[in-house]
Amino acid sequence: MDSDDELAERLRDGDEKALRVAYDRHGATVLYLAQRLLGNRADAEDVTQLTFVAAWTGRDGYDPQRGTMLGWLLGIAKRKAVDRLRSAARDQRVAETVRAQVPAPDEAEPPERIIDRLIVADELSRLPTEQRRTLELAFFDDLTHPQIAAVTGLPLGTVKSHIRRGMANLRRRWEVDGAASGSRSARASRAL
Amino acid sequence: MQHLDPDRLVLLALSEPQDPAEADHLAECPACRQDLDALRHVAELGAEGQDLGRLPAPPERVWLGIEAHLAAAESPAPVRPIRSGRTRPRWLTPVLAAAAAAVLAVAGTVVADRIGQRAPAETVTARATLRPLATVPADANGTVRVLSDGLMRVDVRNLPLTTGFHEVWLIDPDHPTRMIAIGNLADVPDATLPVPPGVDMNRYRLVDISDEPHDGDATHSGRSLLRGTLTS
Repeated sequence: MDSDDELAERLRDGDEKALRVAYDRHGATVLYLAQRLLGNRADAEDVTQLTFVAAWTGRDGYDPQRGTMLGWLLGIAKRKAVDRLRSAARDQRVAETVRAQVPAPDEAEPPERIIDRLIVADELSRLPTEQRRTLELAFFDDLTHPQIAAVTGLPLGTVKSHIRRGMANLRRRWEVDGAASGSRSARASRAL
Repeated sequence: MQHLDPDRLVLLALSEPQDPAEADHLAECPACRQDLDALRHVAELGAEGQDLGRLPAPPERVWLGIEAHLAAAESPAPVRPIRSGRTRPRWLTPVLAAAAAAVLAVAGTVVADRIGQRAPAETVTARATLRPLATVPADANGTVRVLSDGLMRVDVRNLPLTTGFHEVWLIDPDHPTRMIAIGNLADVPDATLPVPPGVDMNRYRLVDISDEPHDGDATHSGRSLLRGTLTS
């Protein structure tokens, strides 16, 4: 599996296959974000398309030192989706809709929060199997550490160590790659 | 002041209860509190992501659209209206046409019997060079000529073998989900297919050869082999 570094290098060299690799790896996540932001399947597919086209034309601008490829792609997708919402709002004003209602199906949920959740889910899926399994039991099944030990048959100490390392990985990724880039630098990270 | 152990904070952020000393420390230490909050936030984000582990892949038409954009961007210039953009001086055209007609008239009398009903001169209104997509062997290629009589000559070489068939499409690169099926390529390198009347070839200018399975689904399989943009 190509790392983001290798993929970025192949992209910069103009290798279209690398774009396909990036699409196979992250297309579903980009589409999910667009769908959540736009609330409309056709627009979401359009924005997914625009995102990868923009990634291709702007491929020299991706720096693997500054974040993962997924984080970069989600940033592009967010901008494209916001552009689309704005132009939809403009069209509606032009049409003199009495009560301009921007189609924002998830107003309660800021895009940054959705992106952060996607980033953490992606990192979770990349963790070593036991770390991931242990965290999934804690997150999704709400099990205590002794319960996880009982379910998995791992010693309690091992469970705790998996949880600690897994959480450290998730937090690091969130801080590097989360969408709230503005507040990111302000977040103190003493522990990690 | 002794800060809480970072590892301990991780456990507290999940389900472990705080002992009284830890609670006291957290109450008076903003740094540890901030750390705990960050970890709780990450745990919350993680817990919300249960359905995000296996998101469904986008339909293949999304990728087709991306490819169409890239192909359109790579073609040397935007397509001008068909028939325009010739470099030959305007006055020369009738002269050449007349000369050609004279030659054809002579030649035509000689060979007309042999070539039967075939038109003696075909006017090519647009052409495209077909190039393999990234996933296709590099020696696959082809050419397309659109003739003034509404026929399209498709000539392909070294296409990968298929268990289904090869189909010819015209795609609007500006709206890549819009495409027109032109016809299938038989097992001969050179096929002539009719373009449906009324198709705007300036719009539907991207020629696509796809590999289609025999699945009864008339839509594009998403497996494009060759692409090329029609130019006049």
